[in-house]
Amino acid sequence: MTDLINRYVYAVTQKLPVPQRADIEMELRGLIEDMLEDRGAPGDAASREDVEQVLLKLGPPNEMAARYRVKERYLIGPGLIDGYWSVLKIVIYSLVIFLSISYIIEYFSSTDSSGETLLEYFVTILSVSIQGFAWVTGIFAFIEYLGARTDKAKDWEPSHLEPVPDSATRIKPIEPMIGFLASILFFVVFTFSIDWIGVIRFSGEQSFNIPVFDKEAFAIYLPFIWAVTAIGILKDTMKLILRKWTSQLVAVHLIFNVVFTIAAIVILSDPAIMNPTFMNQLVDANLLTTGEESYNTVNRIWNQSREGLIYIIIIINLMDTVSVGMKWFRHKDGPRVLSK
Amino acid sequence: MSEDQEILHGLVQELRRGTIIIGVLSQLSEPQYGYSLVAILQEKGIGVEAGTLYPLLRRLEKQGLLESQWDTNEARPRKYYIISKMGKEIYSQLYREWKDMMTSLEGLVDAKEEKRDP
Repeated sequence: MTDLINRYVYAVTQKLPVPQRADIEMELRGLIEDMLEDRGAPGDAASREDVEQVLLKLGPPNEMAARYRVKERYLIGPGLIDGYWSVLKIVIYSLVIFLSISYIIEYFSSTDSSGETLLEYFVTILSVSIQGFAWVTGIFAFIEYLGARTDKAKDWEPSHLEPVPDSATRIKPIEPMIGFLASILFFVVFTFSIDWIGVIRFSGEQSFNIPVFDKEAFAIYLPFIWAVTAIGILKDTMKLILRKWTSQLVAVHLIFNVVFTIAAIVILSDPAIMNPTFMNQLVDANLLTTGEESYNTVNRIWNQSREGLIYIIIIINLMDTVSVGMKWFRHKDGPRVLSK
Repeated sequence: MSEDQEILHGLVQELRRGTIIIGVLSQLSEPQYGYSLVAILQEKGIGVEAGTLYPLLRRLEKQGLLESQWDTNEARPRKYYIISKMGKEIYSQLYREWKDMMTSLEGLVDAKEEKRDP
């Protein structure tokens, strides 16, 4: 009957920190033998029933191990678990929805209607959902870790309390929600449907699709897109949890703006990412005629488009940074004197 | 178990949690191993599960109230616990605190009873 005892002891000790295991194992075995002896069935004389009765008295291994652990540790604790589930749902649902839309467009516009694309679609949904799950879990574990560290601060004083956010500094839940949708849309479009950023017309024989970007050349920059998406999700997760501007959130938001701007500059500085035959395709589609005034105008815009986009992104990010900075200062300007 | 019985059971458990520590410290001026301590406490009317007591002994040892030693000479190895010097001091203070609490509580409850039936 030692097999049952072994199983019980193993079930308890594997849930305990490694350095304590051997000692607690020895102690538990001693206890079980003492209890068996108490029932008049020492060691080898114990029947299966005796052992079962003793183990029942000790209770489920989970609870036994919980009593031995001094402090419960969490990857994602009770304070964050609700937020975790809602963010996970938003991210996974929007991934599935946007990927499905992308697939449907692909399906109806593609001449190759074999079943292969359907299988591909499911494989993509599965692998992307797993990635999304890993990102969200990693982000929450990180926030939990930060929280667990700050909770330990023993020199807390009532004057450290954050002011109650007024309507100007409070973040409405809709804001991070839109943020999640934008991040996921950004991710799906650039990773899976980059062909569809362009000049498109659907009408029977005259259908055409002239992409702006060159898919193969753009592919090497995808890690930048993924990094921006990941930091974007981190930023919006913190917004959803904190619901107000704090120095940590402002820092993450600024990091997001910086990474986004750098990624945009790096990607848009490479001429190879643009579709090299864009202008010719426009002419082939009878949208423009070489030599005409309109052709020259479009050509000029096309040639300066990368540079123009860089400026636009820098200006938008600067404006956003200033507006976040102002919100933060207003928030800090509560009962506390500015110390920084 | 009916619902109010369950509530009562939970509250009693909470009350006992602290008193078990006093009981344990009171019995450890002589070295005892876990199961012998369960038997002693049981005999004196303090029923405590081994599954509760063993982790408690370990915690008290970590806090420095108890000292322990494995005895491997017997048929099966046993971990003997004995109260430490610091444990003795804390025990006497804890016991006094508990007495004071009892007195205050009795005062509260008695005053209420007198009011009700004069």
